[in-house]
Amino acid sequence: MITLTVALPLLAAFLLPLAGPLRYALGPAVPLAMAWLALQAWAPAQAEPFVIAIGGFRPPLGIAFYVDTIAVLLNLAVAACVLLLWPWGTGADAARKQSLTLLLAGASAGLALSGDLFNVYVFYELVAVASYGLAAGRGTGAGYAAAFRYLVVSSLGSLLALIGITLIYFRAGTLNLAHLAELAPAALHDPLGLSAFLLLLVGLGVKAEMFPVNAWVPEVYAAAESRVSALLAGLVSKLAVLVLVRLLVLVFPLDEARLALLVLGTLGIVTGELAAWRARDLTRMLAFSSIGQLGIVLVAFAIPGEAGLAAGLAVAVHHLIAKPALFLLAERWGGSIEALAGAGLRSKLGGALFVLFALSLVGVPPLPGFWAKFLTLSGLAAQSGAAWWLAAAAILLTTVVEASYLFRVVGRLYAPDDEGRAAAQGRLQLAGAGVLGACLIAAAAGAVPLGEALKHMAAQAGDRPAYIERVLRPHPEVAQ
Amino acid sequence: MSGLDQLLLASAGTLLVAFLLGAWRPASWLFTALYAAQLALLLRMPEAASATPAFVVFGQTIGWTLDAYGRFFAVITVGAALAASWFASGEWGARYEAAENSLRALHSAMAANVLAMLMLLASRDLVTLFIGWELVSWASFLMMALGGQRAMRAALRYVPYAMGGAMAVLGAMVFAHAWTGTLDLGLLAQRLAHLEPARLWVLAALLIGGFGVKMGLLPFHLWQAGAYAEAPGPGTAFLGAISSRMGLFAIALVLVRLITLEGLPALTIVPGLFGLREALAWIAALTIVLPTFTALKQNDARYLLAWHGIGQGGYMLLGIVVGDAWGSAGGLMHVFNHATYQAALFLSVYAVVHRTGTADLNQLGGLIVRMPLSFLTMLVGIIGLAGLPPMNGFVSKWLVYRSLMTNGMPLLFLASVIGTLGTILSVYKLLHNTFLGQLRSEHVSIREAPWSMTLPMLALCVIVFATGTAPGLVLGWVAQAQAALGLPVINYTLGGVESSRGGLDMLWVVGVLFGGFGIGALLFYGAGRSKRLHQLDNYAGGHFLSADVRYQYSDNFYAGLMHRIGPLYRGAFAWAESALSSAVSLAATAMQGVYRQQVPALFLLATAVLALFWVVTR
Repeated sequence: MITLTVALPLLAAFLLPLAGPLRYALGPAVPLAMAWLALQAWAPAQAEPFVIAIGGFRPPLGIAFYVDTIAVLLNLAVAACVLLLWPWGTGADAARKQSLTLLLAGASAGLALSGDLFNVYVFYELVAVASYGLAAGRGTGAGYAAAFRYLVVSSLGSLLALIGITLIYFRAGTLNLAHLAELAPAALHDPLGLSAFLLLLVGLGVKAEMFPVNAWVPEVYAAAESRVSALLAGLVSKLAVLVLVRLLVLVFPLDEARLALLVLGTLGIVTGELAAWRARDLTRMLAFSSIGQLGIVLVAFAIPGEAGLAAGLAVAVHHLIAKPALFLLAERWGGSIEALAGAGLRSKLGGALFVLFALSLVGVPPLPGFWAKFLTLSGLAAQSGAAWWLAAAAILLTTVVEASYLFRVVGRLYAPDDEGRAAAQGRLQLAGAGVLGACLIAAAAGAVPLGEALKHMAAQAGDRPAYIERVLRPHPEVAQ
Repeated sequence: MSGLDQLLLASAGTLLVAFLLGAWRPASWLFTALYAAQLALLLRMPEAASATPAFVVFGQTIGWTLDAYGRFFAVITVGAALAASWFASGEWGARYEAAENSLRALHSAMAANVLAMLMLLASRDLVTLFIGWELVSWASFLMMALGGQRAMRAALRYVPYAMGGAMAVLGAMVFAHAWTGTLDLGLLAQRLAHLEPARLWVLAALLIGGFGVKMGLLPFHLWQAGAYAEAPGPGTAFLGAISSRMGLFAIALVLVRLITLEGLPALTIVPGLFGLREALAWIAALTIVLPTFTALKQNDARYLLAWHGIGQGGYMLLGIVVGDAWGSAGGLMHVFNHATYQAALFLSVYAVVHRTGTADLNQLGGLIVRMPLSFLTMLVGIIGLAGLPPMNGFVSKWLVYRSLMTNGMPLLFLASVIGTLGTILSVYKLLHNTFLGQLRSEHVSIREAPWSMTLPMLALCVIVFATGTAPGLVLGWVAQAQAALGLPVINYTLGGVESSRGGLDMLWVVGVLFGGFGIGALLFYGAGRSKRLHQLDNYAGGHFLSADVRYQYSDNFYAGLMHRIGPLYRGAFAWAESALSSAVSLAATAMQGVYRQQVPALFLLATAVLALFWVVTR
């Protein structure tokens, strides 16, 4: 059933232009169906992850989907994000965007589920193509320029990733992740294998907003619609990270790989947050802050063991909720930050939501952002070595910078508006941000059960032997 | 339902009511009543009460227990909120609302502050403490930001300080957890004793530095005066009375309960000579002297008092760092005393602001006949602030001085006396420029502030005087707090302290003082040579003076003194602050440069090549 979350949106993406007036209903119905399907798979996946062999061909020969809680969670996130950020509209332009969004949704779902590198690459490219189209969607010159820049970097990144995959195939003779996990200690834990991982890291890092291959981020986010920025920053970046994490956990559980992730993540935190401090408009500020947050995600996943997985997941999911909401709020609050005077007084809910998300991003307890940061920092502190502690110090120091620039915006939002220029929030944007805000508050209230669920999820994702068992030597009753 | 449950529920209820009914003016009295109810709950609470709810989140237990130490601060907190909300409940609130300010926001901010502080004071592990700490920080940010544009600027200046402090604490917390495996205060104290000194130093420095930000410990004090002074009136009084004491609460907790007085000497800088204890004592002394002399230069009554608030924190810390029964009792008692007279002082300043519209010390004068009750409040308050008998500030400072002398720290004693000298000079300036001298012609027709404002002021005066005359009333709580925290406990009487080496009995001191006043009054009135005159019926240098002749020079008040010490004000801290801010700005510009690459593709390839190069050369 869960395979439908991939097939359905892909199919719908191509049918939508032909569906005539039906498409107004069909479009939003697809993510709804995806959400329903993902919810169906939640309980079984939580109890015991399962493998779906497409077409009945057994892994490692056939194509396999590996359905664990993280995959289902991301599927759910894909559906929710696409629904919240749906490009409503009736024109031909909107139809094109809707198709592209559905394409993105299907490919993202596939990326989350894929159990082998070949499929990962295919879906990753699909995501990339859809995102190029969306990034250029506003149709302005700056938009095209930024999207082109993004296209060049991203395709080059894909190329590097492909070289990495080729190297892996050359050494191991397989691309199935479970099979690779089994063969990796003998075949891939050498300089060539590490080079393959680093090439994949740099290549996929483009979409994961990893330093230093993220120079496209501020321009694209500033030029694209904030809906698209929200999708790219919130969702697509997390999918790229997920692939990296799967590789790190299953195939390359090496200290060198972790170190690379840690160093690049730390540099991302420092550069992103500091650059955001100087940003003069809200979208760019959010873009830079997103780079910093993704840096924290990478640093958290670099921590060995389940502690790292739990921390990384917490930061990633928190960012997945917070950043789209902030981008939604920024839709009407574009332009110079100075011009935002009084916007929070004009739109009370918008201002309150901005403060809420700012507090959570900064990590003020009892909001979820605090627990995410706390898990990351505890994980870093528990390691021994200067690099880990430096990363912890970087997170702590840049949080001060982050609070300072976010609250500078808050200060503007509540400044008296002498000229009455402040824009009111759009109803759609406000509703979307409101839903995400409600999620955030619910998560703060339900921190106890969420913590348990997170722990379970991390344990599942970090269990390498079980992954190999389930894919390669399934018990008959488990294989579906 | 335990006593603490009831208290927290009442406090949360107050917040809810403030949010729902805060905008409805007749409900203003309700908040005073609600704080009074909280105070009643607090006073009849047993020695240590635990809250029923406790959570385990991500392996950390979160729960609350209010012991006598926390309760001592809690009583002051709720009491300050009671006085401040009383002050706001009548005409002040009406005026505030008429000026298009939100009373709801003010009441909500106050209630949120109280609730957050209670949660902080009742925490029994570091995670709960940190949660309370952050809530207090942001609740006080809310209060600070309510006062308009200047207030928002001051509040935004506070944000990096507060976050820097919070992150230092968070860092200490995660490393303490990594190194000892627990965050429970009791267990942590046991395990910290076995930690290697270098690591203990790191934790101690991060915790004390982080918590020190809130109490305005040097060099983290620059944010405080502006942030407190620009808040709306009752908010200023509340924040000035108690908010920054949360930092002291936490520092004392770290020093006495975590590091412990036995473990403290192990943290040395120059072994045998100078360690954490001495360093803190000197920081406290500098915190007394420098902000006090900064206060001397202020021309805004609110800023003057707020700067003194920072300086007085130094006495409290100094007393606790000395660590004997008398010194720590003095330090803790000064928290109570300072809260009472500081609230009274701020309220009297805001009563003057309410009538005259300004707190500028160069725009006032001669109000004593127009606002006698406000004058009385300020008089009582400044005697307390200056630490003179018969007010309560004297007792606590006397205890601190006394323990500095008996513990052989004459230089620190000297520093604190210099601080007191500066205090006396500046509070005289405050009183003189506001109430004495020539009444300005535009103030001839103003009246005393309404009863809704003067009553809480007078109530505070009564407390300041009563606890000055019978300090045993407060020392009872102080002794309980000392015992709960793990300090040596003071042996007190109703009049003060007894000791073979010279105690203090305020009942006698006050008796003698008033006896002296009585004799003076007998001479003055008995001689029958006094004559009652109108305030403006006056002459100087043989010339009669009328209201239109300006003879009160309040501008550049201590011209002679400033001529001597003026060059000593260097603004070094402000300079360091702006230098740091410039450095961050510079780094930020550089980082933006990183993201403004012309050919990102080249960058990507270079990264890949570098990565491969690293693999090869490793």
